Amino acid sequence: MPYLGSEDVVKELKKALCNPHIQADRLRYRNVIQRVIRHMTQGSDMSGVFMEMVKASATIDIVQKKLVYLYMCTYAPLKPDLALLAINTLCKDCSDPNPMDKASYVRRVAVLGCAKMHTLHGDSEVDGALVNELYSLLRDQDPIVVVNCLRSLEEILKQEGGVVINKPIAHHLLNRMSTLDQWGQAEVLNFLLRYQPRSEEELFDILNLLDGFLKSSSPESRELCFAALCHVRQVLHSLPGHFSSHYKKFFCSYSEPHYIRLQKVEVLCELVNDENVQQVLEELRGYCTDVSADFAQAAIFAIGGIARTYTDQCVQILTELLGLRQEHITTVVVQTFRDLVWLCPQCTEAVCQALPGCEESIQDSEGKQALIWLLGVHGERIPNAPYVLEDFVENVKSETFPAVKMELLTALLRLFLSRPAECQDTLGRLLYYCIEEEKDMAVRDRGLFYYRLLLAGIDEVKRILCCPKSDPSLRLLEDQAERPVNSWASDFNTLVPVYGKALWATISKCQGVERRGPELPNTAPFATSGPLIPEENKERVQELPDSRALMLVPNHQLTAACFEKTWVSLKVAHQQVFPWQGAVHPDTLQMALQVVNIQTIAMNRAGAQPWKAYLSAQDDTGCLFLTELLLEPENLQMQISVKQNKARTETLNSFISVLETVIGTIGDIKS
Amino acid sequence: MSASAVFILDVKGKVRLGAGSGERTESLDPSSDQTFSAHPQPLISRNYKGDVAMSEIEHFMPLLMQREEEGALAPLMSHGRVHFLWIKYSNLYCIRGHGRIPGGPEWWAAQAQRWWAGTRGAQYSSGSGWRVRVQGLCSIGTLQNGTFSLTSLPAVVATTLKNANASLVYSFLYKTVEVFSEYFKELEEESIRDNFVIVYELLDELMDFGFPQTTDSKILQEYITQQGNKLETGKSRVPPTVTNAVSWRSEGIKYKKNEVFIDVIESVNLLVNANGSVLLSEIVGTIKLKVFLSGMPELRLGLNDRVLFELTGRSRITLLTRLRVSGSKNKSVELEDVKFHQCVRLSRFDNDRTISFIPPDGDFELMSYRLSTQVKPLIWIESVIEKFSHSRVEIMVKAKGQFKKQSVANSVEISVPVPSDADSPRFKTSVGSAKYMPEKNVVIWSIKSFPGGKEYLMRAHFGLPSVEKEEVEGRPPIGVKFEIPYFTVSGIQVRYMKIIEKSGYQALPWVRYITQSGGSPTWHLQRELSSTPLYLLCPGWPHLSRM
Repeated sequence: MPYLGSEDVVKELKKALCNPHIQADRLRYRNVIQRVIRHMTQGSDMSGVFMEMVKASATIDIVQKKLVYLYMCTYAPLKPDLALLAINTLCKDCSDPNPMDKASYVRRVAVLGCAKMHTLHGDSEVDGALVNELYSLLRDQDPIVVVNCLRSLEEILKQEGGVVINKPIAHHLLNRMSTLDQWGQAEVLNFLLRYQPRSEEELFDILNLLDGFLKSSSPESRELCFAALCHVRQVLHSLPGHFSSHYKKFFCSYSEPHYIRLQKVEVLCELVNDENVQQVLEELRGYCTDVSADFAQAAIFAIGGIARTYTDQCVQILTELLGLRQEHITTVVVQTFRDLVWLCPQCTEAVCQALPGCEESIQDSEGKQALIWLLGVHGERIPNAPYVLEDFVENVKSETFPAVKMELLTALLRLFLSRPAECQDTLGRLLYYCIEEEKDMAVRDRGLFYYRLLLAGIDEVKRILCCPKSDPSLRLLEDQAERPVNSWASDFNTLVPVYGKALWATISKCQGVERRGPELPNTAPFATSGPLIPEENKERVQELPDSRALMLVPNHQLTAACFEKTWVSLKVAHQQVFPWQGAVHPDTLQMALQVVNIQTIAMNRAGAQPWKAYLSAQDDTGCLFLTELLLEPENLQMQISVKQNKARTETLNSFISVLETVIGTIGDIKS
Repeated sequence: MSASAVFILDVKGKVRLGAGSGERTESLDPSSDQTFSAHPQPLISRNYKGDVAMSEIEHFMPLLMQREEEGALAPLMSHGRVHFLWIKYSNLYCIRGHGRIPGGPEWWAAQAQRWWAGTRGAQYSSGSGWRVRVQGLCSIGTLQNGTFSLTSLPAVVATTLKNANASLVYSFLYKTVEVFSEYFKELEEESIRDNFVIVYELLDELMDFGFPQTTDSKILQEYITQQGNKLETGKSRVPPTVTNAVSWRSEGIKYKKNEVFIDVIESVNLLVNANGSVLLSEIVGTIKLKVFLSGMPELRLGLNDRVLFELTGRSRITLLTRLRVSGSKNKSVELEDVKFHQCVRLSRFDNDRTISFIPPDGDFELMSYRLSTQVKPLIWIESVIEKFSHSRVEIMVKAKGQFKKQSVANSVEISVPVPSDADSPRFKTSVGSAKYMPEKNVVIWSIKSFPGGKEYLMRAHFGLPSVEKEEVEGRPPIGVKFEIPYFTVSGIQVRYMKIIEKSGYQALPWVRYITQSGGSPTWHLQRELSSTPLYLLCPGWPHLSRM
C-alpha cells in the first residue's frame, strides 16, 4: 500500500537517524527506529534508510538489535549491495563472547538454521557431515532441539524422501514423547508413521506407549470443531453410519457459526438409521424455520436427502413446510420434491397432492423451474395443473428468466399430450408469444422446434417427449463412492478433508497450472544445467500423494470440434467389450455418466443401428479420456474404445472400471 | 505444520465520502454517496519461510467478503497456490450513536447493510443514545460527534503452501492470540499498534521457519518484557526456564508463606428443548491450582477413595480414559476425557493411579474431565411469553432449584430475550431484581442466593411500537448463570495434597468446590419454533410461545 508522502518521511527519518544527539540518547534513538519499523509495517518503502539502520545495529540494546535485524531481513533483497556491508556487523555479533554459546536456545536456532541455509541454496548438494551431525543431535537433551532436528532433516533430505526413522530412532523418539510440548508431540507422531514395526509384539508395545497421548489438552475452538466435522464426514464416506449412536452431538446450537451448522446438518443426514430417524427429522424440521434462509434451505435439502430412504416421513414434513407459505422455504421444498420423484417414484402421489397452491409463494427461477417441471411431467395427476401453467403463460411477458420459459414450453407441451383439451389454447398462445415476441434466441428456437414437431404429428411428439418419469437406478450409482479408510488415511489431518475431496482436486489442479505457467520462462536459461525438469516433475508428483486414485474433474467441458480433433490425433489406448442387453436409453445413460463426471459429446438417438456415443472426461492432472461406445445390433455387447492424451496405465485402468460400473448398472436395469 | 507467514489483520476498511474526494472521515453527510472499501492492512505480519509473497494477503479480504456474501464462509480458503487459515473470535459489532449524529439509527442500519455486504440482522434501538447492531463479518466502529471511527477485533491469518495439518495451525493461531492476550489483556487493533515492538519480538519467539517454538506465555514473559532487555555481555540473557528440563517452572522461586489453593470447578452445559426434555447435558469439570510454593516442590494429589481410576479395558485403542466416581449409594459416575496438565507424570498415573507433578508457579489447570451422564438441570426454567402485536409482550418465567436443600446457588442470573423494539418495561419478581438491558435485548433477573428446592417467579411487561419492524429476528435461548459452592455434581473430592520440597518447609493446601453454569446458555428455547412451525407466520416474534 503506497503511503502518501513517504519520501518526506524517509528524508526526515534519515536525518533523525544521523543526528548525533539522537544517537547519543538511547531512548530517542530507539524511538526513531521504532518509527521506521512502524512505517515498514504499514507497507511504506523504508529501504532508503538501510545504511543508517545497519549502523543502528551496533548497540547493546537487544530490542533495538532485534528491530534492526527484522528491518534488514525485509529489505536485504531490495538492497543486496548494501546488505553485503551489513555482514561485517553481523559477523561481529556472531563472535560475541557469550557464555550461552552452547545453550540449548542456541542449538534450537542453529538446527533450524541448517534447513534455512539449505533452502536458500536451492538444490545444492546435501552435506553429509551436516546430516550426520543433525542425526546425532536427535539425542540432544533439549526437547525442542530434538524436534527441530527432525524438521530440519526433513527439509534437507526432501529429495531423498525425508528423514529416515529406523528402529533406534523410533524407540528413542517414543521414549522422549512425554517431554515434548504439544507441537513437538504432533510432529513426532507424524514422523513415527514412517516406521514399520518388525513384529506384532513391538507394534503393541508402541501402541501402549502412545495410549496416554490420546488425551489432548488443546482448547476447543470453532475452527477446530469445523476441521473435526470435516473429518467426520470423510470417515462417514468410508464407514456409513459410523457415528450413528452419537447423533445428538451433531445437533446445532444457537450460537454456532454458519459453516459449523452446515457441516453438522450434512453429518446428521448421513447418520440416520431406523432408531434415530424420528429424532433427527424432528431436529432438522426445527432448522427449516431458522431465521437464516441459507441454513433453513440447507436443512430442507437435508430432509430431501433422507427422504430417499425414509420417504413417507420426510414427504410429510416437507408438505407441512409448504403450509407456512414462506417464499424461501417453498421454493426449496418444491426443488426437493422434483429430485425426489425422479429417484423415488412411490412418493409421486403424495407430492402431487401437496403441490396445489405452491405457485403463489414461489418467485425465484430455480423454484419456478422445479414446479413447472413437476406440473408438466406429473400434470395428469394434478387437477389444476393446466390452470397453474396458464397463469405462468399469462405472465410470461414479465418473466425475466429464459430458463423458466424453456421449462414452461416443455411442460405445457407434455401436459398437452395427456390433457389436450385443457391445454391447447394456452399452448397456442405460448408458442405464438415465443415465436413472435420473445427476444431470447434459445427460447425462440425451442418454441420453433416444438412448433415444427407438432406439425410432424402427435405420435412423433409423443415419441420424442415421453421419456421415463423416474429413474431409481441413479441412486445405485451415487452410492458407489464408498472407499476404504486406508485409501485416504494419508490425507488424515491435512487440508484435504477440510476442503473436501472434490474442492481439493480443483484447487490442486489450478495450483499445478499456476506453477507451471510462470515458471516456464525462468527455466529456459537454466536448461543446460539439467536437473531442473525432473525436479519439476517430482514436485508435481508430490502434490498428488495418491497417484493411482482417479479424480475426474466435474464440469469438464470439451467442444465437439475439439473432441474430434483430439480423437483423430490419438491412438486407441484400450479396447474392451461389456455385456449389454436390450435397447439403450440415451438420456439415462447420459445422466448416469454425468454423475461420475463423464461428459457426453455426441450420442445416437435410441434405436439407431449401430448405436454410437462419444464421451469425454478429464482427471485432476489434466489427462483427457476420450471414449467411443459402440453397440452392434447383432451381438449383445457394448464395445468401448478409450483414447488418452497422456500415457498413464493406472489412471486408465481406474477410468475403465468407472465406465464398466456405469455401463454394467445401466445395462442390467434395462434388461 | 509449516506456516509460511502469520498476519494480524484489521479487517476493517475506510469510510470514503463522495467519489474521488479522497478520504474524509470528519463530517458525515447522510446524503452524500458513501462507499466502503475493504483494503485490509496487516496490522502486523511476520514472514517465516519466505516462500509466499507477503502481498498475497491482499487477496484475503476480497475472498472473505465474497465467501460471506455467498454464505460459504469457512476458516479455510485458498487463492492460487496459497491456503489461508484464519481465526476470529467475535462477529458481532455495534455502531453506537451519541449526541448529534446525522442520519439516525434507521439510516445507519440501512447503510451498514449496504456497506458490509453479507451482514445479517441489522437492528437498531433508540433511547438516549442509540445503537445499530450488525451481525456479520466485517467490522463496525463507533460514530461519535459526527465522526465515524472503526474499531474491530483483528483476524489472525496464517498462510501456507503445504498441505498442512489444519488443526495444528488453528491451535497455533489460538495460542498466539492467547499469548498476546496475556500480554495486552485484550487483543484488539489498538493494543497491537501500541505494542508492535513486543508483538514482533513475540512472533519471533513463537515460531521459527514455520515451526512453533516456545509458546508458553509464562516462560516468554520472563524474557520478553515491556521494558525490553538490555544486553549485558558476560551474562546469560535467556532465562533458565527456556532450556530447563522442567520447562514450566523456574528455579529459585521464593515465598514467605507456602500455600496451594485447589479449586474443583464443575460447569453444567445443558440443552433443553421447548417441550422441556433435556437434549444434551454434560458436566465439564476442572481442578485448578494456585501455587505459591518455594523451590522445586513435588506434589501428590489424592482424590476420594470412591474415585476408582479405571482404564476401560486396556484395549489397543482406548479413546477415553474413564475415571469412575462412585456415589454414596453405589451409583457410579464415569468421567470421560480426562486430561492432565503437561506437568503430570502420565507414566506414574498409568502405573499406580497417583497424580504426581512439579507444578508451574501461579495459576494453572491441573486436570479436566467430562461427564456426559444425564443429570437433572440444577435450575429448571419454565416460561410463557405472550405477544400482542402492536401493543405489548407479557413474559412469565418460573425458576426452580433442583439441587439439595442444604446447598445454595449464588449470583443467579437468568437472561430472558425480548423483542428488540420493545419499550417501557415493567417487572414484578417474587425474589431478586429484574433489569432491562436494551443493548442486549434481554431482561436480566438476578437472584443473590437461591436455596435448593425453592421456586421463584418473575413477570415482565413490555410495550411494543404500533409500527412493527419488518425483518425477522432470531430467537435466542434463555440463559441461566449460577454458582453453587461446596458442591460437585460428580461427587469428586480432594482427599489429600502432599507437598514435598528438599528444604522441608511446611505448606498449606486449601480446597474449594464450586458448581457453575457452563459457558453456553443453558436453556435453548430456540427449539420452540421447531416444534410448532406455526410461529413463523408472524415475522420476528411468536404470538404465543410456551415451554
